[in-house]
This record gives sequence, structure tokens and C-alpha cells, in this order.
Amino acid sequence: MPPVRAREVAQEPLFCYSISMNAEQKGHLHPITQTIREIYSVFYELGFEIALGPELEREYYNFDALNIPADHPSRDMQDTFWIKENGVGSKEGGEGSKEEGGKKVDIQNIGRRLLTTQTSAIQIRFMQDKLKAGIEPPFRVIAPGKVFRNEATDDTHEAQFYQMEGLYIDKNVSMAHLKGMMEYAMKRIFGPKVEIRFRPSYFPFVEPGVEVDVRWNDRWLEVLPGGLVHPNVLKAGGLDPDKWQGFAFAFGIDRIVMLKHGIDDIRLLYSGDLRLVDQF
Amino acid sequence: MKVSHTWLQTYFDKPIPSADALSELFTFHSFEIEGIERLRDSTSRLTDTVIDAKVLPDRAHYCLSHKGVAEEVSFLTKQPIKSSRSSKSILVSLDAKPTIKIEDTHFCRRYMGRYVELNAAALQSHSTAAQSSGQQIRAFLAAIGQRSISPIVDATNFVMFDVGQPLHAFDADKVQGTIVVRAAKKGEKIELLDSSEGPGKEVELLASDHVIADNVGPLAIAGVKGGKRAGITPSTKSIIIESANFDPTAVRRTATRLDLRSESSKRYENEITPELASLGMEDVSILVSQAYPAAKFGPIVDQYPVKAIHTTIVFDPILVEMRLGIRIPPREIKDILERMSIDIAEAEEGKWRLTIPFTRLDLKLPEDIVEEVGRIYGYGHIQGIFPPVSKAKVPVLPMYYLSEMIKNILVEQGFSEVSLYSLVANGEVETAYPLARDKAFARANLTDGMMACVEKNAMNADLLGLDVIKVFEIGRTFTKEGEFTMLSIGVGQVKKVKGEKVDNILVNSWEMLNKELSNNLKPKIITKGTNAVCEINLDELLKSYKVPSNALYSDLHFSPASPNMYRKISLYPFIVRDIAVFVPENIEADNVWLGIEKGIGNAGAVGLLARHSLFDTFKKDGKVSYAFRMVFQSTDKTLTDDEAGKIMEKINVEMKEKGWEVR
Repeated sequence: MPPVRAREVAQEPLFCYSISMNAEQKGHLHPITQTIREIYSVFYELGFEIALGPELEREYYNFDALNIPADHPSRDMQDTFWIKENGVGSKEGGEGSKEEGGKKVDIQNIGRRLLTTQTSAIQIRFMQDKLKAGIEPPFRVIAPGKVFRNEATDDTHEAQFYQMEGLYIDKNVSMAHLKGMMEYAMKRIFGPKVEIRFRPSYFPFVEPGVEVDVRWNDRWLEVLPGGLVHPNVLKAGGLDPDKWQGFAFAFGIDRIVMLKHGIDDIRLLYSGDLRLVDQF
Repeated sequence: MKVSHTWLQTYFDKPIPSADALSELFTFHSFEIEGIERLRDSTSRLTDTVIDAKVLPDRAHYCLSHKGVAEEVSFLTKQPIKSSRSSKSILVSLDAKPTIKIEDTHFCRRYMGRYVELNAAALQSHSTAAQSSGQQIRAFLAAIGQRSISPIVDATNFVMFDVGQPLHAFDADKVQGTIVVRAAKKGEKIELLDSSEGPGKEVELLASDHVIADNVGPLAIAGVKGGKRAGITPSTKSIIIESANFDPTAVRRTATRLDLRSESSKRYENEITPELASLGMEDVSILVSQAYPAAKFGPIVDQYPVKAIHTTIVFDPILVEMRLGIRIPPREIKDILERMSIDIAEAEEGKWRLTIPFTRLDLKLPEDIVEEVGRIYGYGHIQGIFPPVSKAKVPVLPMYYLSEMIKNILVEQGFSEVSLYSLVANGEVETAYPLARDKAFARANLTDGMMACVEKNAMNADLLGLDVIKVFEIGRTFTKEGEFTMLSIGVGQVKKVKGEKVDNILVNSWEMLNKELSNNLKPKIITKGTNAVCEINLDELLKSYKVPSNALYSDLHFSPASPNMYRKISLYPFIVRDIAVFVPENIEADNVWLGIEKGIGNAGAVGLLARHSLFDTFKKDGKVSYAFRMVFQSTDKTLTDDEAGKIMEKINVEMKEKGWEVR
């Protein structure tokens, strides 16, 4: 891809390099905030807005609407913190019983709750809210957020971490657009020399689904999952998949922070230790 | 899914690419490869290579088998799969057959059963054919990490890993009457077969579980695990082979609830086609006949109430270009689909009617076909196209704008941002299966974590070079009333300053917020010793503070992330030493420090100096006193007072040589 020329960038740059303060007097932003700001700045210039979603999410938005039905093996891909309430927490209930007392329950609003496992959950809420407000696509949105996985922790795994979801909805969107966007964004984030590649993968809410790898400092890194938004997800968001398509991607912020700053233990990021934060 | 290269080769006439070459192909066209293991015999000769493929739920319908992976090899290399790997067929020489009844046809889509007399006694103790066949199967199973159990169980396991159909064998003499596939009765119990994890346990079933039962009771938990009562033993004389298909959801629920995930339940819960049952039955019969050459077979009983039908997809080939963004010649698209045994018929308006093979339960929508074409053709062919971007004003989300503005204001005032744990020991919202007892709740406030954070950082104040610890966090809290976005600010006064109270620093911080946000915040201060914390509800704040309608994110002046590389935090304690030096008035602090540094250098301790600062200066009688604080810390050991003392001695020597007085 040829280098992106300035005229292709739609918004004024978000970065301000000119502010200089007495560095000794100032505090420090957490490196996660710094990286989220840096990445968002790239997408802001392309017209992406910001959306935030709940950390305490409904099963419907986190799973069902994202084409991850109850009792499907794809639920195993993310170990989930379910909230203990209404009988959840005894193994008897199994997963996702949608019927209670013979009545269908309103799964969008009173279904089971969990700590959100992926910022992708924000996709559905965003599309629904826009359509409710009478706003039709194109949609361009970035959704940073804290997510949770019920997994044993070690120096590369935490029960909480940050993701940053990207969703782009328009007409005639293709994998080539996803690749073009990723090539541009990765060059901005990792430097002009990086290359990217797609590998096939599976995430229920995209089809085709890919892993986007970045070649950085002579090493191929698995940086983010992405793909074309699955027709079932568009429908759940209220859009007609014959008319609208889109791509989605999700940065793992912690991993990027660790790579760029050479931090060797993810748990340091949540230790509240200024010996870490004040280095950046 | 562990895949033996030698096993895979049995599907092809011509040699297939090496395991390394196949792994490369799979990585870019099929699925992730988690490892390659080379197996060697006692003379270090390479006997087999095993590829560990990460088969996710989309390909699990067919790739949890060597047959499915062989199909992938065929898609990618264009090498055809052998039409048949065995010429042997089974002669039916007995009339005996099991009586089978499916009570729940939603749960059990197909049940095939067959009676076999093993006639093991007639086996001329060591038939060489039986031996070599058994050896081959054991070698294949061993290659993928499966231990050999008995000729019958090995045969059923082998066929499961070969074609993907789980199978089960019962001791026919122990089955009483009709074999029924039915829902379990609540409270019904079954003693399970032993497994590699230990002796079989007895489990109690629910009405939502399903069993294979006879007139006496359950023989097996359907699709999950066999029972002990009709299990195969060394004295088994005749068997009933089961090749069946069960509902994925029900099998998954039972296997999950009983914590009995097995290779069998894994295949059922990912869903396999009922069409596969007949292949499984044929193949396992052949293996049984090889292990027991005198075995006599009854006819196959096949209960198949609702026959599977082929999925058809009306596909417009233009969709490939529309979704992938590359033009692939129609001939090439057809070629890829035909390699997948997808039947293509021309339909109206240039569309194709695709008939999907039974095994490919992953292919339901036109988008699924696009993915198949894209991955086989190769995503590497896609050239990036920069998508249209928007010149319209980017709408501002008030909560994000407010949060980032507050971060800026506090950082300007010397506060550093922390991000603490959301899962804590106490709260109002509890998780069902916590990682640890002290992480069972979602936090109800930020204050508790912040107070601990201030206390911890106060202990490192000298190392951080701070007289006051100033931290903040913006994060979510969870109470019975709901989820809230909160700001907590923490202050720890490490060094007492006359007339300055820790509360004042905190009050100053929100007064600054009040000024910038034209607000009137007055949060409650929680004090603990010399530390103080307050917490502010930003959802509430957003009710009184309105983001200006002309606000832009660019007003927030984001700057690029720090380029700094992380310097490892030492795990060892630090030692603080102060020194005050009296020097003539014309000598500057920097010069004095250079002298001190030289002394540290003479002690060989430059690497141990973690931080230094000038903390006091005063003049008297034409002389000036500079007081420095030095923090020493090693990255690989605990420094002793003695070691610090030696550094100080060298500094003193250096000061004396300069003619300066150490006070």
C-alpha cells in the first residue's frame, strides 16, 4: 500500500506536541491510558467516535447477540465471571436457560449478568443506540474498555485487561478495506516499517475471521483479531446485512503496552505501583 | 487435535508434504498450529511427526479427525484422497442383533448397533496378522498420546480419531433386553468405567441427562461415558457396537455438569453429521475382525428417524469480490469449491446452487463460502485498500471527554494515574466461580483500593523522590443500585510540612476540578493516619457538568505515549543516606554533587545509586551547606548497612581531599 497521504486523513490531528510543562511537577498518566490515547488519536483522524459499554454486562450483549449461543462450544473460548444471582452459581442450571417458569424472558434486559469478556459486546449496544436516535450508518467507532476472564493469572495473563474495539459499518465493505485500515493504523502505532498479514481464525462474530499479525523489530506478533462483521451480528444490531457490511477488530491494549515499553509482567500494570507508572 | 503425519499419509497414494511444510500451509489457510513433535524410537530414528492443530468450533465438525485434516491437505495441495483405504468387507454370518429403541428422537438422531461374537478362543493364540494390525493401531494411538487399553477399545478409539465418529462397545452378555436411548430418571445412578484419571465413580443423573439403558437400567451416559456394568473386560465373549449421533447441546450440558469432558463428548458437542455413523460402524467392524479373525458379525441395526439433508446455499460468485476485495477468476472459485466436494449447479441470474457435504456443518451462509474461498486462495493475495473516512465532526461522548479532561487536570497537579483491581474480597456484586476467595466480588468502591495504594507507595517515597504521594483512579464500581463510573483521589503525606495538612492537598485537588468544571464538588474525605482519599461519582457529575456543544476531542491535547523503556523494579529493599557538605560560597551545588558522585564511583557503587536529590541549602558566615539525600538499591541483593557505610566512607575521603567539611 502506498503511504497514506495527508489529504486522506479527514480530521485535524489530535496530538498536541507543543505543550511543555515543568516535567518535574507533573504526574503521570497510566501507560494503558497513554496507549489508548495514542491509538484513538490515529482513528479519530479518520472520523471514528468513542463508545463505552458496561463492565457488568448482560449475557445477551456479551454472547448471544455476537453469534455465540448458549450451550455452544464457542463459549469455552472465553472463561467467564458470571454474577451469582437468581440461581446462577449452582452447576445444576447449566448454561443459558432462556426459559424461566415456562415463560420466555426478556434476555436483552433481564438476562443473566456477567463481567464483560470482550469489548465486542459494545458493538450491539452502539448500533442499537444509533438506530434508536435515528442515525443510520456509516458508523465508525472505537470502544476502549476493561474486560474480564476467569483464568489463572501469570506474567502474561490477568483476570482483567483492556481491549479497544473498532467497528466500521458502511456499504460494500471488504477484507481489503480491513487490510488497508490495519496497514495504516499499525504503521502509525508501531512505526512506518511494519508489515501486516492475515491468518485465518475463528471468532463467532466475524466471517471471514482473521488474526492480524504485525512484523515489528523482525518478529511476527499476533496483535489483533478482526474480520467482516457476521450477518447475524448486524441483524442483532438492527441492520440489514444485505444493505450494510462492516469490519471489526480489537486491540489488546496490555500486550501493546508490554511490547512497546518492554514490561515483562502484566500484573505490574494493576499493582498501583508508582515505581512503574512514574517511569512513563 | 494431535495429527500423526504417518496416519495422515494413509489417506494419500503419493507422499504428502513434510509436517513442517503442512504446518506452514495450515497456519495460513486452515488453523493455528500449536506445536510439532518429532517421535523417535530407541535408536533415535524418527518414527513419526505429530502436528498439534488448534481446531476451533467452526472446523471442529470435521477436523477433529485425521480424515478431516486429510481433506484440508487435499484442499491445499490438490492431492486427491484415496477412494478407499481398505478393501476388506464384513461378511454377516449371524442372525443375532440388538433390539434398539430411541425414545427421544430430538436427542438421538441416529443409533446403529451390531452384535459381534469375538470367538477369541478360536484365535490361534498368536495370529501374526492380528498382531501386526494391533501393533499399527497402538503405534498410531501412542503417537497422538492415547494409551492402549484393549483390542476392542483401541479399535473404537482409533476410528474416532480417524474419522471423527465416537463409538462404544458393550459386553453383549451383560445387556438385558432392549437397548433404549432415553432421558435419565431424576436420581438415577450409574457407575462409570475406569478412566486414565482413576477408578470409575458413581454419578447421579438428572432428567435433563440422557442414557443408553437396558431393561435393568443405564448402560452409559449417552455420548459422554460408558458404565461399568456392561463394560468390556478380558473375559468378554461377545459385544454390541454402538455408532450413534446425539444432540450437541444436551451432551454438552451433561458433560459440563458432571465435569466429564471426554474425547467423545467433545465431538458430539461440536456437532457431527449423523451420516458419519455408518462409516464409523463399517471401519470399526473391520478393525474388530482384524483383531479377532474368527469373529462373527450380525447385521447392522440402524435407527435413523430423521435423515440428514444436505445444506444448499444459493451463492452469487460476485460476493467473493465484494467481500474479499480481490478478483478471483470464477474457474478458480469453482475449483476450490469442487475440491471441497461442494456440488455446484447453475441457478438463475448467474448464481450457483451449492450442495454442501454432510460433514461440513460449518457452511450455512454465503459468507461462510466467501471465507472458504478466501482462505484456500490465500488472504496473502488481498491488497489493502484504504477505506473511505469521514470528514464530519466526530461526536463527543460526554463520559469519555469528562474522564480524560479530569485525568489531564490531575496530572498537571502532580497526580499519577493508577489502574487497580476490580475483583476484591468484599462487595455487593459477587461472582459465581471466583478465582480466589479474596477476589470473589466486583468492587463497590474505589476508596479501599486507593487507600492501600497510597500506603504502599508511601513506603517507596524516598525511592520515588516524593514528599507527598498523589494518585488517582477512574474506574467502575458495582453496587446493588448498578454500575457507576467513579473517580478516586488519594494523598499520602510522607514528609510533614508545617501548616500543611493532608486534607488540604486533597481539597486543593478538587477545588481545581471545581474551577475547571465550574462545579461545586465537596466529596467526603476518608483519612487514615497521614493518608487521605476521596471518591467522586462521575455519572452524578455529568448531570451538573455539561460538555460544551462545540467541544472536540482535540481540545484534550492528547500526546503520544511515552517512548520510555521499562526499567525493572528491584525486589530488594533500598537504603537512604543523607550527607550535608559545607563549602565556600562560590562553589555550586552541581560541583558538590560531582564530588560526591566521584566518591560513589571510588566505592564502585555507581550502579547502586537509585536516586539523589538536593533537599536543603543554607548560608552561614560566607559558607554554604548543601544537603543531599541518596537512595541506594541493588537489583540482585539486599544491601547491608555495612555496604552503605563503605560508600559513605569513600565519599567522606573525597570531600576531605577537596577540603570540604562534612557536617
